[in-house]
Amino acid sequence: MDAKRNMAKEPQPREGETRQMEGLGLENVIERAQGHDEDALGELYRRYVRRVFGLCRYMLNSREGAEDATSEVFLKLQRSIASYDGSIPFPRWLLRVAGNQCIDALRRRQRGLKVFVEVEDGAVVAEAAGSEPSPLGAVISTQERAQVRDTVARLPENYRVPLVLRYYGELSYDEIAQQLGLEKNNVAALIFRAKQELRRRLAPRSK
Amino acid sequence: MECYSEQTCALAVDGELAADEAQRLRDHLATCRRCRELLDALRAESRALSESLHELPEEAPGLAGFSHLRRSWVRGDLAVMAAVLALGSISSIWFDGLSIPAALEWFSPFSSSGRTNLIFSFFDHFVLGGTAMLTDYAAVVGFLSLLLLLGAGALMLGRGRLRQLGLRLLIVLLALSLPSLALERRHADFVTVPASETVDDTLVAAGNTVRIEGVVNGDMIAFGRTVEVRGTVKGDLLSFAKRTVVSGTVEGRIYTFSESFDLDGQLAHSLYGFAQSLRVDDRGHVGEGIVAAAGDVNIEGEVNRSVDILTSGNADVSGSIGRDLTMSGVSLTLTNTARVGGNLSARVRQLSEAHIADGATIAGKRDIQVQQAKKSQFARPRFYFHQAVWFAAAMLVGWLGLLLFPGFFRGTTQAVGSGWLSLGLGVGLLAGVPVVMVVVAITLVGIPISLMLFAVYLAAIYLAKVWVGAFLGRILLKPSGATKGDWLLGLLVGLLILTIVGFIPYLGGLIRLGVVCLGLGAFGLQLYRASRPAITA
Repeated sequence: MDAKRNMAKEPQPREGETRQMEGLGLENVIERAQGHDEDALGELYRRYVRRVFGLCRYMLNSREGAEDATSEVFLKLQRSIASYDGSIPFPRWLLRVAGNQCIDALRRRQRGLKVFVEVEDGAVVAEAAGSEPSPLGAVISTQERAQVRDTVARLPENYRVPLVLRYYGELSYDEIAQQLGLEKNNVAALIFRAKQELRRRLAPRSK
Repeated sequence: MECYSEQTCALAVDGELAADEAQRLRDHLATCRRCRELLDALRAESRALSESLHELPEEAPGLAGFSHLRRSWVRGDLAVMAAVLALGSISSIWFDGLSIPAALEWFSPFSSSGRTNLIFSFFDHFVLGGTAMLTDYAAVVGFLSLLLLLGAGALMLGRGRLRQLGLRLLIVLLALSLPSLALERRHADFVTVPASETVDDTLVAAGNTVRIEGVVNGDMIAFGRTVEVRGTVKGDLLSFAKRTVVSGTVEGRIYTFSESFDLDGQLAHSLYGFAQSLRVDDRGHVGEGIVAAAGDVNIEGEVNRSVDILTSGNADVSGSIGRDLTMSGVSLTLTNTARVGGNLSARVRQLSEAHIADGATIAGKRDIQVQQAKKSQFARPRFYFHQAVWFAAAMLVGWLGLLLFPGFFRGTTQAVGSGWLSLGLGVGLLAGVPVVMVVVAITLVGIPISLMLFAVYLAAIYLAKVWVGAFLGRILLKPSGATKGDWLLGLLVGLLILTIVGFIPYLGGLIRLGVVCLGLGAFGLQLYRASRPAITA
């Protein structure tokens, strides 16, 4: 039951031409796609391509790379959609696939070097409570958001990737840890450091 | 109680704190204002971060325009193409080690020994508004493509769901590679079919000298320094050579691509030529007409129907032409023995360059004009009819193209927007593809591929205006959606503008050349993209 509800969870605003698929609930579209219905796969593509592309774009920091990764993801989707069992919402499942794809791409790019280095958990906690409230909290205007995006894009990979997976992909720390092959507390530390770095870089501008 | 660390609070905001610890934090918050404020700030930060990231960068929407999973189809296409190419190369293995580059070096713009003025002459013609030649050539291929598209369309409508691009391409490729089937191939320094021999298949011959003294019952495709037909070719003759001489009989048509072409014998149907010097000797006879682009043209023999020539030099007629003579070039000479059964229509550089002897017979009207004086054509209703027909044909081709290859056509239209990149690439392709074609034909994978390339090249030249027109229309109309209707409306408007602008003296020629280059470049760009594993395929 839960699975069904998850499947039906409505995602993205729609765009483009009207087609009969458009009227269908996500649950139906997925069911058809699992039966290798090309139109249904096309509809999933239409609904989620922006979202997936966005994740890839942030993670890989290259438009071309993101396009390649996105098309890989949707290619894989044709094969792997049969294995989607509805235990988690479809968008999240798809973004997990996309995350994996990008991490593979990053690893290939680094020629097998370890991309995601573990960090000492304790090192971060040292700068414990009492630090100033984040300058990010006040970010509202479109322009400022664009600045945030730019800054995120310039973060080092091992900060950027977990941060994006968390706040764009909305994956849990456990899921991120699994994807990156790290312990959960390492992921927590990376995300925490990433945010600190982000604040540091944004601070002069927001003043 | 001691306050919580910022990281623990951050974990709590992200919902990642273990249940018991979360409970303890909540208890603490009830009493600690400082931690409450920190938690609020962190929550605001997470929200701001999440919102900022979810607003996608500007570039993303372009991607969403391409619906469906094109890439798997592209893979299919690549597989199909690879299969066809492999077949082609296997079948042409026979041509391995072919060493006749000298035969075609006159065509290479990089060759100093070759007579490269042909290339320059063409450029000259473009500048003078003489794009008609390429357009004529392309029109023939455009017509063939149209038939092909219609056939494929009928098949698809009939079958309902024959929608995979791979299959469409297969149809096209198979149709294009048909000439490579049922062939007899010969390759040597000196290829000859002696008088006593009869070849029953289509003959593809390559050599320094290719000489036919016997009979070829099928078509004949010849590559060589010298191609001579002294015997009989019952089908069509297609020759790529430095020198082509037909002193025997060709019962089909002749398509020639030679530095010099001489017809000394009998040709039952038409001659389509692209040559530096084209000559029909006094013993030469053409059963139908001649359409040719050449440096110099000399007609001493007899042509039963019309002659259309575009020259960058002189046209001399001392023989007989059954119907109209239409020419465009530097000068025209009709000697006393010349006879034109229909109208004479000539565009020369200066009126004094048209020499028509008193003894020359012209049955119809004489219309001799200086090339630039194009205004008169606008006064003729036939001109408008002609334009309307070609306009409709271009629209039809555009519509069919969009129907059959929607992604590719739209992608190419979009690629026109790459501007200088497309233009530069287009210039390179326009000049480079013929050279590649020749090289491919004589070295690597053989003639079928070269022929396919040639067909695609001409088709792309024809389609260039469709893509550029559609792009232009889209810029002007800025349609809200991306429906077929919008695309076609854009094409209509764009083509209209291009057609009209194309008639501006001097500038029009350059614009047409620019359109061809732009479209060709966009096509190349889109092909490149489609062959890459990218979503924009």
